[in-house]
Amino acid sequence: MKGDSFSLSIESLPDSPTDSRKKMSKVFDKMTEWVTPWRSKSEMPRETRILRGDVEQEQFQYASNHCLTSYYSVFVVRLAIMVMLAILIGLLTILTWHFTRVYTKQSLQTLAYGLRYELLQRPVLRMWSVLNTTSELTTAQVKLSEYVIKKYDKPTTQEELVEMYQAMKDVTWALFASAKALNAITINYRNGFVQAFHRDPASSSTFYIFSDLKNYSISGTGLEDVKTSLGHGWNNQTIHGNMSAIWYQQQLDPITGVKIGKPLQIPPDDLINIAGISQVPDGEASWHVTVSKYMDSPLLSAALPVFDASNKSIVAVVGVTTALYSVGQLMRDLVEVHGGHIYLTSLEGYLLATSTNGPLLTYTSMGPQLMKAVDSEEWAIRTGARWLEKTYGNRSDVIHAENAKLGNQQYYVDSFLLNLKRLPIRGVVIIPRKFIMGKVDERAFKTLVILISASVCIFFIGCVCILILTNGVSKEMKLRAELIRQLDARRRAEASSNYKSQFLANMSHELRTPMAAVIGLLDILISDDCLSNEQYATVTQIRKCSTALLRLLNNILDLSKVESGKLVLEEAEFDLGRELEGLVDMFSVQCINHNVETVLDLSDDMPTLVRGDSARLVQIFANLISNSIKFTTTGHIILRGWCENVNSLHDEMSLTVDRRKPWAPIKTKLVHHRNHLQKSCKNENKMVLWFEVDDTGCGIDPSKWDSVFESFEQADPSTTRTHGGTGLGLCIVRNLVNKMGGDIKVVKKNGLGTIMRLYLILSIPDNADQISQPDFSKYGLVVLLSMSGSAARMIQSKWLRKHGIATVEASDWNELTHIVRDLFETGSRENSFDSQHNIADSLRAELSNIQEIKNPVFVIVVDIGVLDLTTDIWKEQLNYLDRFSGKAKFAWLLKHDTSNTVKTELRRKGHVMMVNKPLYKAKMIQILEAVIKNRKRSLCNAISNRGSGSDESHDCLEIDPTQFDTFSSDDSSETSGDKQGDKSVKPSPVLKNYLIDITKSNDDSTSASMTQKRQQEEEDWKDRSNRLYSGVALDGNNQKSLEGLRILLAEDTPVLQKVATQMLEKIGATVTVVADGQQAVDLLNTQEHKLSEEETTKNDIVNPQNGLRNSSPYDLILMDCQMPKMDGYEATKAIRRAEIGTELHVPIVALTAHAMSSDEAKCLEVGMDAYLTKPIDQKLMVSTILSLTKSSTLLASFSA
Amino acid sequence: MNTVVAQLQRQFQDYIVSLYQQGFLDNQFSELRKLQDEGTPDFVAEVVSLFFDDCAKLINNMSTSLERPENVDFKQVDSGVHQLKGSSSSVGARRVKNVCISFKECCDVQNREGCLRCLQQVDYEYKMLKTKLQDLFNLEQQILQAGGTIPQVDINETDTLLNFANVQG
Repeated sequence: MKGDSFSLSIESLPDSPTDSRKKMSKVFDKMTEWVTPWRSKSEMPRETRILRGDVEQEQFQYASNHCLTSYYSVFVVRLAIMVMLAILIGLLTILTWHFTRVYTKQSLQTLAYGLRYELLQRPVLRMWSVLNTTSELTTAQVKLSEYVIKKYDKPTTQEELVEMYQAMKDVTWALFASAKALNAITINYRNGFVQAFHRDPASSSTFYIFSDLKNYSISGTGLEDVKTSLGHGWNNQTIHGNMSAIWYQQQLDPITGVKIGKPLQIPPDDLINIAGISQVPDGEASWHVTVSKYMDSPLLSAALPVFDASNKSIVAVVGVTTALYSVGQLMRDLVEVHGGHIYLTSLEGYLLATSTNGPLLTYTSMGPQLMKAVDSEEWAIRTGARWLEKTYGNRSDVIHAENAKLGNQQYYVDSFLLNLKRLPIRGVVIIPRKFIMGKVDERAFKTLVILISASVCIFFIGCVCILILTNGVSKEMKLRAELIRQLDARRRAEASSNYKSQFLANMSHELRTPMAAVIGLLDILISDDCLSNEQYATVTQIRKCSTALLRLLNNILDLSKVESGKLVLEEAEFDLGRELEGLVDMFSVQCINHNVETVLDLSDDMPTLVRGDSARLVQIFANLISNSIKFTTTGHIILRGWCENVNSLHDEMSLTVDRRKPWAPIKTKLVHHRNHLQKSCKNENKMVLWFEVDDTGCGIDPSKWDSVFESFEQADPSTTRTHGGTGLGLCIVRNLVNKMGGDIKVVKKNGLGTIMRLYLILSIPDNADQISQPDFSKYGLVVLLSMSGSAARMIQSKWLRKHGIATVEASDWNELTHIVRDLFETGSRENSFDSQHNIADSLRAELSNIQEIKNPVFVIVVDIGVLDLTTDIWKEQLNYLDRFSGKAKFAWLLKHDTSNTVKTELRRKGHVMMVNKPLYKAKMIQILEAVIKNRKRSLCNAISNRGSGSDESHDCLEIDPTQFDTFSSDDSSETSGDKQGDKSVKPSPVLKNYLIDITKSNDDSTSASMTQKRQQEEEDWKDRSNRLYSGVALDGNNQKSLEGLRILLAEDTPVLQKVATQMLEKIGATVTVVADGQQAVDLLNTQEHKLSEEETTKNDIVNPQNGLRNSSPYDLILMDCQMPKMDGYEATKAIRRAEIGTELHVPIVALTAHAMSSDEAKCLEVGMDAYLTKPIDQKLMVSTILSLTKSSTLLASFSA
Repeated sequence: MNTVVAQLQRQFQDYIVSLYQQGFLDNQFSELRKLQDEGTPDFVAEVVSLFFDDCAKLINNMSTSLERPENVDFKQVDSGVHQLKGSSSSVGARRVKNVCISFKECCDVQNREGCLRCLQQVDYEYKMLKTKLQDLFNLEQQILQAGGTIPQVDINETDTLLNFANVQG
């Protein structure tokens, strides 16, 4: 049964693999759904992202497939564990059951055996005791009888005989009464007289039976007979034959033995067996089992002879009869307690006693007869006896049969043999097996059932546990797999992000390299003197933009740094004003296209030199301004700047209080900050610089004032559409500002637009000079500002007035003409002045003030936008203005896109002061200084050259664009400029020339021209060195750039030989041509040898190192790669081999028609220094050669 | 006299521009012309004639190499093509160079048929160029004899024209 359920449980699982798989996958699906709720979520907005969903689905399916296999394996493992568990539990159960059963059975069996034995033993013992009692009583009776008979020895008379009989009767009664178990005692005398006591158990009455005395004589016939016919004289025949004898039965009181009633005559032998002489044939005791008429149980009778005194003849026979009833009773009692059947049989098989109530006798016509066990009416006894007979025959052994099958039941059958001499008795116990083992069997069965059910339960619980456990494990596995996948994905994402940043870095690096080249080229171009001014301006602008681009590229690299907070600000001195001016210059180009005015308004107290990170500072303002430009379509963008010294704060407070009014909360904060700063860095000269970027754009909603500085935040989401941008700019700005110890905020503005106000804390170098503002007031300058942009004009005029320069403003052409006319034609038309022109009173007051200035110097700053450029009217306007050129100096504000014709026209008219918009303080100062200088010189000239006729000394002032190139602080032009201005290292406003005289007047002294020439030469030289460093050369003005270089050309193709030779010789190199590599190597070896010999003889003692260096016969080798005999690679290897041990390294440049990068790699591998492809590009070749030989040339030039 | 010179000069210019436009020549030729100066008046002619000699020799070599249909020494052919490519690109013989490139490709895959075809093409192209340049030099000579100077042709302009032609083509 166990095995069955077990195999079933095993079979049921792999029975239908497909089915279970399906189920499993279903379960799996459910689980995954459970685990990954996003999946179901992701399906919800299906329409919106079908594509993405599909992708996810696919990915998921892939993942689930991947998982399924692992799931199967998990399932298999689970199954295996279950099977093992089942086997274990089964084994345990079986063992337990087996052991308990076997041991119980064994112990029970021994117990049962004991029990059976005991059961049988007791009736047998009873039987034995009955027999003993009977025999004892019989013996006692015999002894008593002998005694009595001896006493009445030889009774002669009747009297004596009766007396003896009476005595016998008394003795016998006494014995009978004492032994209650006796059924009867009989005494049969020789003469045939019978005396007997008898108990009738049915009526429980006691009888005395005797025969009639009359018939007996006291003849000694009997005595005589004894000897002769001991066996015959006492035979039953005689007794039974003595029919004449009369038997009497007299009831007695069972206790006292008093006669009750009269003796009744009964037929002889009717009631009881009287033991006769026949029963003791040999004079010994004999046993009989008899039956009596009145008792339904067999009786046991013993007979013993009574001898006379001489012990020779038998006088009487005593018989004692005991009912076997009591044995049966005991058996019944026993069986009642223990169950089963017990019976005793004689050896012949006659039943003596049974534990049942069934009859033991059969009644035949001959009277009751003993019954055989096999004929017993009792079924159990009959079948048992039959079984015994059948199985064992009539063997009288002790038999213990345990599994006798009687009927349908199993019995224990045990038989014992009680071997009495005269009466062997066999006892048989039949006990149904179930009486003893029934409970055990039942228990065993129950135990088994319980065990099986328990084990099944345990098995199922175990399975569930395993399921749960493995479920947890598999879930964990799944999660782990998920985690691994996620990690993998993250790693990939990180890698890709890494790639991205690497790509960005690489790209910006790659971009920077050509940008550097572009800038370098532009520098060369700028320093070229054959450019026209327009070209110059354009190139300068390109230069600026290139620099800006480079800066942008650098910023891209820095962006990630800013984001991650790893940015470290550098600490370097820089000119704040210049940086901002350059910035404004750059943005003004963009703004002019937008019709937006860019104005730089820096207060005079701003320090020129500050310490800090100029690039970041510029980045801040570039971001802010570009942001403003984005949102401003018309109007102006003003970058204001002012400063306050931390140390001298309180003085400044009053000055700038009106400006800082709207910033009350910040002010307090600032005070805190300031205190902190004062504490922390007392030694350093810290400055708080305030800046404002004020635009007239669309403005920012006050609620967004804080959030605009967050990442990816824009005031209006729609701006991205219209204006573009990521919203990162302001975030970077805030980060940078905070980094510089400042803060940025949007402040309230009256009217349209936004004001971003920020402060930065920068330190000023200790050695910085106090700004010496040139004093213009004493020159009597009158400036007429005619500019279309109102903001710039107002700021300029305010500044000019502050410095004591009379300023008149004009916004358009009409106003300009009016004012000009008023100013210069007052003398002639003073009267008509008031009536004709209706100028505002203030202006008139201003004009009248100007009238009072003595000897005024008029400077008219005219925006080119004031002229009408759309038509040709501007020429007439120019002509009109030209009339006043003698009285005033004109300075022109040009736009970047101002056409050449206008410029040439202006130049033709002698207007040489031209600056590009926007006009800011520094440019204004420059203009004014130029005017003053010019005036001074003209005065001087007028004095010195009076009469010489060269009084038409109008100065041709032009813009020096290189000086405008202040946008970058790191480029070479500034360094060269610094070097140039070697008189004072510190740049001061005076040195910062925006306009310089290039065409000096004729009367310049020759020495000046000489110095200038030398300076120019110096510059030329520097130019060249610059070119060397930048690795790019132009053939423009330095034709002989390779002057003095000795070059070995190894080239087999005659065409190329010719071309290359020509190219090289044209720029001054000395070329030696060889046709193949072998020749080149040979030539080099011999020459080197020769040369080194020479050198050693010459220079060894003086300067061995120099000798070594100069021992190379050629400065450079141009090596064709593919040549007959020995190709370029081999030749190079040979040369390099030869160079080992010396300090020589002749630069070798490969020349090849292969243009693959692998070829280049190969070339460099064999020891070449550079690589040129055919056809030879002259410029590239020259630059390459120069870059390779620069060290030696520089050395040469230094040594020279 | 002057008008003749001017006419010749214009003719020369047109001719050289046409050579550029048709792709016979490229910038390298202009570079070559620039290299010519007073010291080396016949530089271009010299180089070009060297080139043609070289061409003839190389083509001869290659044709003998390619003559036999079996066991062609492609290595040798390859080196010849390489050399030819180098020299043609150096003188600015654009078409020859282009054919050389395809020739080299054929050589790399050891395609004898292609090589032969390319060889013929190279032969044709270089002879074509030879006649063209011959004409050009003749023109030059005529100009010089007429007492004029050889005009400098603006390469950039021709270049743009060339590019334009390329785009059109």
